[in-house]
Amino acid sequence: MFRKFGIPLANSILINKNDNISEKVNQFSFPAIVKSQIAIGSRKKAGLIKIVRTKEEAIFLCKEYFKRVVAGFNVEAILIEELADIEQEYYCSIALDASERKFYLIASKEGGIDIEDVAKNNPEAIIKSNFSYKEGLTNEIAKEVGEKIGFSGDLLESAIKIFQKLWDITVKIEAHLVEINPLVLTPKGLIAVDGKMILDDNAAFRQPIIQNYLDKKLSDFEKIAVEAGFSFVELDGDIGILANGAGLTMALLDVLSQLDLKPANFLDVGGGASKERVYKALDLIFKLKPRCVLINIFGGITRCDIVAEAIIQALKDFTEAPPIVIRLIGTNEAEGIELLKNEGINVFKDVMDAVNKVKEVLA
Amino acid sequence: MNISENSKVLVQGITGNQGAFHTKLMLDYGTNIVAGVVPKKGGQKIHGVPVFNSVKDAVDETGCDISIMFVPARFAFEATKESLYAGIKLVCIITENVPVLDMIKLLEIAHEGKLDIVGPNCPGMMIPDKIKLGIMPSDMCHYGNVAVISKSGTLSYEITKAIGNAGIGVSAYIGIGGDSVRGKTMVEAVEYYSNDSNTKKIVLIGEIGSNEEEKTAEYIKDHVSKPVIAYIAGKSAPEGKRMGHAGAIISSGSFGTAQGKIKALKDAGALIADLPWDVPKLL
Repeated sequence: MFRKFGIPLANSILINKNDNISEKVNQFSFPAIVKSQIAIGSRKKAGLIKIVRTKEEAIFLCKEYFKRVVAGFNVEAILIEELADIEQEYYCSIALDASERKFYLIASKEGGIDIEDVAKNNPEAIIKSNFSYKEGLTNEIAKEVGEKIGFSGDLLESAIKIFQKLWDITVKIEAHLVEINPLVLTPKGLIAVDGKMILDDNAAFRQPIIQNYLDKKLSDFEKIAVEAGFSFVELDGDIGILANGAGLTMALLDVLSQLDLKPANFLDVGGGASKERVYKALDLIFKLKPRCVLINIFGGITRCDIVAEAIIQALKDFTEAPPIVIRLIGTNEAEGIELLKNEGINVFKDVMDAVNKVKEVLA
Repeated sequence: MNISENSKVLVQGITGNQGAFHTKLMLDYGTNIVAGVVPKKGGQKIHGVPVFNSVKDAVDETGCDISIMFVPARFAFEATKESLYAGIKLVCIITENVPVLDMIKLLEIAHEGKLDIVGPNCPGMMIPDKIKLGIMPSDMCHYGNVAVISKSGTLSYEITKAIGNAGIGVSAYIGIGGDSVRGKTMVEAVEYYSNDSNTKKIVLIGEIGSNEEEKTAEYIKDHVSKPVIAYIAGKSAPEGKRMGHAGAIISSGSFGTAQGKIKALKDAGALIADLPWDVPKLL
């Protein structure tokens, strides 16, 4: 992304899994930095970024990286970068402040390390200036921030250009954060050595880069959830949870843990769930092999009768399903309860009654 | 946030599944729905409500001044912009998954015109027994003097129903939504209802993520003398995992935790409910 937008980078080569590693490495000069391309954070901490002195070391390390599996992900490619002659490391980013609905240009002379530590220990070293989306990043703001972190002359001009390009990227791909850390001053000028972006999942329909990233980053269970349209987080207990609304689901998990009951997951089936979505959610919960499943639905835009139909279908299809405790209330509640009663399935109106039933089932 | 039984309501996306279904429920409640808008589908009637091709036509014909929006996320920006420019004073966006950048642009337009946006990804607003502008259950409670302000949808139904079951009435219910960038903030809602003469007490329903409850606590400390009762969800949530809402995530460190919010609100003088259904006891 930085390359595409013309942000200056160190010379580098990209090695893919099927490439002839030694042939590619032969064209490069050393020492250099070897970086695994993998969709996880903290690559440095995981030992996935290392400095090598010689070609032989680089070849050995590349082979080793391609064998690695980290958090379920393979190393797909490796970037080898020229080791920059570092005179000074800076930090810069464009970040959205959601509560103020404004963007910040943030920069610091103390780059290269965790910017949150700098913010805590030496807040004066961080220069910030905000602007609205409509104004955009003006030359004045970019210049002022650049000067405050100590740039002047040609360096100031190139810093302003880099800041402007960060803003271009932010707008173009609808990012909440675009960060260069560190931005390194070398004898040849400023170059971006590492970076990070936070993107908006809601914009995935018009931003292919976000869709690609989501495809790579999610676990298999999370992928099923995203495709079906609900939110899912795996936890380590034994009670499967299906509820609607993030707040209600969280409150239910809080109540369970206050009673020393352990949920196996967070699952918010979302607003206005279709029969198919609820069915897929139950299917996913059954895969976790819980000892019991607790369903808590308070229908607003979600209709209790549709939820009931999905439960009935799932119980017909999954003959080895664990015991299910159901609490169903809200929009079309009478119709939903009627459907379940006809199948001989009991329904609770009060959450605590349902939670006590779960306790009984597990005892 | 000023709605009443006299508000003339427009439904955007009235011909869709959700739009048509909830139009019926709102009409049954007594909400004065005077128009619907769906581009290229004007001329028909949905549950007796005339449908127009554009918001401008609907405003000209019916004088509608408040809109509730059910259109899909990718069209929400154009539809809301159309409303704001056509003279609608408040748009309540029920739609979920609206891109953040779209919301930022819409809020800039709303701010310039001194117009209100509630939501997105919210259950809407209600003055019990008078007007229902949303998707919340109709039978939660009757009119009274407690304002309920919530980031969460269904959790607020649970608590509002418990309030109603205890025989306590509600002056206004507003679900502000759980997205990171949205129209009415918790601070703005608290400010509005602390100055509302029909409201004697305020119930706040918050959840992990963002610093909104903390900011609201600061506001309450300095400006609110009415009693505030709060419930915060997500006490058992693991760090770094997003719990459904875009905003509901605990970042590294202690930022946005339930414990931090509870402490801030307690320090500001609010009463904290341990369980959702403890709220009526504290009222």
